[in-house]
Amino acid sequence: MDKYLLPHKAEVMKITQETGSNLNIKTFRIRLLEEEARKKFNFYPGQFVELTVFGVGEAPFGFASSPTRDDYFDVSVKETGLVTEAMHNLEEGDEIGVRGPFGNHFPYEEIRGKNLVFLAGGIGLAPLRSLIEYVLDEEKREEYGRVQMLLAFRSPEDMLYKYDFPRWEKSPDTLVKYTIDEECEGWVHCVGYPHDLLHDELDLNQPDTVFFTCGPPIMIKAITDELKSSGIDPSSIVTTLEMKMSCGLGKCGRCNIGSYYVCKDGPVFDLKQMEKMPPEF
Amino acid sequence: MLKVLAKSELGQFLDKLKQEFRVVAPVRRQYGKKERVEYHPVENSEEIILDSQPDTPPKKFFLPQNERLGDELEGETDLEEGEKETLIFGVRSCDLKAVEILKPVFLDDDFTDTYFQKKLEKTVMFGLGCSSRQENCFCDSLEINPLEGKNVPVNMYDDGEKIWFAVRDKELEKFFADLPDGDAEELEEKKGKWQEEFEKTAITLDLPLPFPELKTFEAPFWHKVSANCLGCGVCTYYCPTCFCFGFFWEKHPEGIDRWRTWDSCMFPLFTKHGGGHNPRETQKQRTRQRIMHKFSYHPQNFDGVPACSGCGRCISQCPVNIDLRVILRTVEKYLKEEEGVKSSG
Repeated sequence: MDKYLLPHKAEVMKITQETGSNLNIKTFRIRLLEEEARKKFNFYPGQFVELTVFGVGEAPFGFASSPTRDDYFDVSVKETGLVTEAMHNLEEGDEIGVRGPFGNHFPYEEIRGKNLVFLAGGIGLAPLRSLIEYVLDEEKREEYGRVQMLLAFRSPEDMLYKYDFPRWEKSPDTLVKYTIDEECEGWVHCVGYPHDLLHDELDLNQPDTVFFTCGPPIMIKAITDELKSSGIDPSSIVTTLEMKMSCGLGKCGRCNIGSYYVCKDGPVFDLKQMEKMPPEF
Repeated sequence: MLKVLAKSELGQFLDKLKQEFRVVAPVRRQYGKKERVEYHPVENSEEIILDSQPDTPPKKFFLPQNERLGDELEGETDLEEGEKETLIFGVRSCDLKAVEILKPVFLDDDFTDTYFQKKLEKTVMFGLGCSSRQENCFCDSLEINPLEGKNVPVNMYDDGEKIWFAVRDKELEKFFADLPDGDAEELEEKKGKWQEEFEKTAITLDLPLPFPELKTFEAPFWHKVSANCLGCGVCTYYCPTCFCFGFFWEKHPEGIDRWRTWDSCMFPLFTKHGGGHNPRETQKQRTRQRIMHKFSYHPQNFDGVPACSGCGRCISQCPVNIDLRVILRTVEKYLKEEEGVKSSG
């Protein structure tokens, strides 16, 4: 019998401290313990898992790694509440619970052959990293067109996945740009908000481009407004939404925006769908 | 098969049923100073109350208020083997419809809820046709027939002296074999009278279902209809169709139990993010969510069927007299006016 409501046991393989003093973000590499469960656990970029810290509680996290690495998955966790605090206190080798994968995924098949632009803000890069790693995977790279990224952070101290950036930059036909909110010493990249910079820093005039954005709600709003007013088709602007999600099954009633359950019908939506939703997000 | 039973012989009849079933029926229960008529295992047939709507619906037999799902380290809880089937005696049309509303939610193909499913499979319900309108109910305005319970093997009628049983399931006929046959014409005559009473007191609702989402969402009346709401959540706890839930955990020496518990969209913390943001911060937003879920989102997702069976319990139990019928009328009136403005403008 499938266990939708009770977690599988998993092991924390590796913990990476991502950011410095400003924000506490750690990336956890997780592997299911039972072989049977591991075989059945197939996820796609954009989906999420419910992680249980035993005896504390449960919270949802987007996959931050590519499913092409089949034995494990990564999630990045910012310390904000009870469960995330308990996660930050975990050590390598500790056991946690995993339910999922849940939700829909990025249209990784439909976007084959297209040019891709990624616009990320802070930890919003985590769910996009799953798709970025997928399309930049050596075996997949030639299936996709040009890849451009504008990665925004509050400050250099707040950057995550720095260890990935050299590899991403070296990937064929790929452009990676970085920006922070305010000028600071030693910073050689852009300064400013991504919606102000995207026209100057990226080449948006290529046909057949799909845009992926994730970050704080206010950034998603600014970017989708900017892209739309530049005449980009709303169905080519894709984002992943965040709501309080508990069951992951489209039942418990927290995460709905209108008739959509973010945990089941989402979390990935394009702007065309979002324009039909009541303004609740 | 139509059979009749003198109410004075109900005890003997239930004894027969009890040999095979765990029989639950509406009985008076005391909770501190509060008294409620609830479905509960029957000790004595005299305590059964069939002449008024039970205060709480039978939802708890499928979706218990608190339900242990299992030990997080050991696995799920199974229903005890050999446990008798539960027979819920005297379920009115509204509450039967409510179970029908819950079914597609929990028995969906994607994530079948086996806890709900197993309980449903181990339950038989005897319907009870209503002979009079309860204080606040309006099932007949939502296309539900108060006299005829649907999808039940037996539908009962209580005329005050006798209980009539319309037996629709061959397998259950053995329990009724000793009872005298009922006169179908006599019952029809009684039902005709009850029906007339219902028609006299019916309210007409002309609801556009599902409510048009965007048009209704932005309407100005939500503030007015929710202004005195205390956010106590009583409406959702007494509701036969509300199914929002949460999890909680209980540590014990052997492990950690995960429980499922009813939760409510009327509570401010229900949707609050870990980071502090809350998309439904005000009572107005939460009241709107409850009404829109029942009359717009649910029918959009489930073949046009609203998540309300008109039982009226939310109206009877509300401490500040918020009346769902008034809210529905308000929506209806607003949409009609909007339509009028559009066609004349």
